Amino acid sequence: MAEAETDARRLATEARDRVRFEEEVLGLADQVYRVARRLVPSREEAEDLVQETYARAFRSWRSYTPGTNLRAWLMRILTNLNIDRGRREQRSPVMQPMEEGDYFLYNRLEESSGPDDEERIVERLSQDSIVDALSNVPHDFRDVIVLVDIGDFSYQEAAQILDVPIGTVMSRLHRGRRILKGQLAEAAVGEES
Amino acid sequence: MTQFDPICEKCEELIQPYLDRELSETERVEAEGHLAGCGYCNTRYRFEVSLRRYVRQACCSEEMSPELKARLASLRTPLA
Repeated sequence: MAEAETDARRLATEARDRVRFEEEVLGLADQVYRVARRLVPSREEAEDLVQETYARAFRSWRSYTPGTNLRAWLMRILTNLNIDRGRREQRSPVMQPMEEGDYFLYNRLEESSGPDDEERIVERLSQDSIVDALSNVPHDFRDVIVLVDIGDFSYQEAAQILDVPIGTVMSRLHRGRRILKGQLAEAAVGEES
Repeated sequence: MTQFDPICEKCEELIQPYLDRELSETERVEAEGHLAGCGYCNTRYRFEVSLRRYVRQACCSEEMSPELKARLASLRTPLA
């Protein structure tokens, strides 16, 4: 009798924890989608990826340790699924004039417009050209940019999610942002002509 | 094209981790001191801030569809 009661209590606690977990996970859906949408090329693929991520998260909820970073836990499922399915498109590495590096975009924009208010210069770029430029960054670099700049993850969290050392996150971020700026500079020139 | 030369060597190594809030307290104070005194870095810093904001805005403009939201909710474990 006492045993049956203990069992019932245990089940009730588990059901309550599970409901709470599922609600928290669903509450993060918008953020998860925003990251997914920039990791894959189309809306449909992003939707599939998010749906698979949620199906797996709900199935394996016991492997989540309460009190740890749920957002990072979810994102790790998502990035692993994305890699496993080989769904990410491989693009040829983008060659950029690296020696001009980080100064390239600013100078290019400033050159075409003359000295301007820094806040206004970027508005010369269309939103579509920014989305295209990001999608042209090779995926290893793009993953890190998306996690840090769009997902608001720290370097450490991004390292855990992608299962790489933090130094790799930093170097990919550095290189990736350069490539992105190179792409944006090309787009800026294209939009002028 | 001489303007491509970094005018301040410290610029990139400071600005990116500073914006990412990844500097230690000491480094942060050092970075802020430098930004306050270096016109070049300050201009570049403001550019980076607005660029990041703009990229983020462009890349987050597409909201999740209500249909997907409903599908996700339907994946929940049915209550016994």
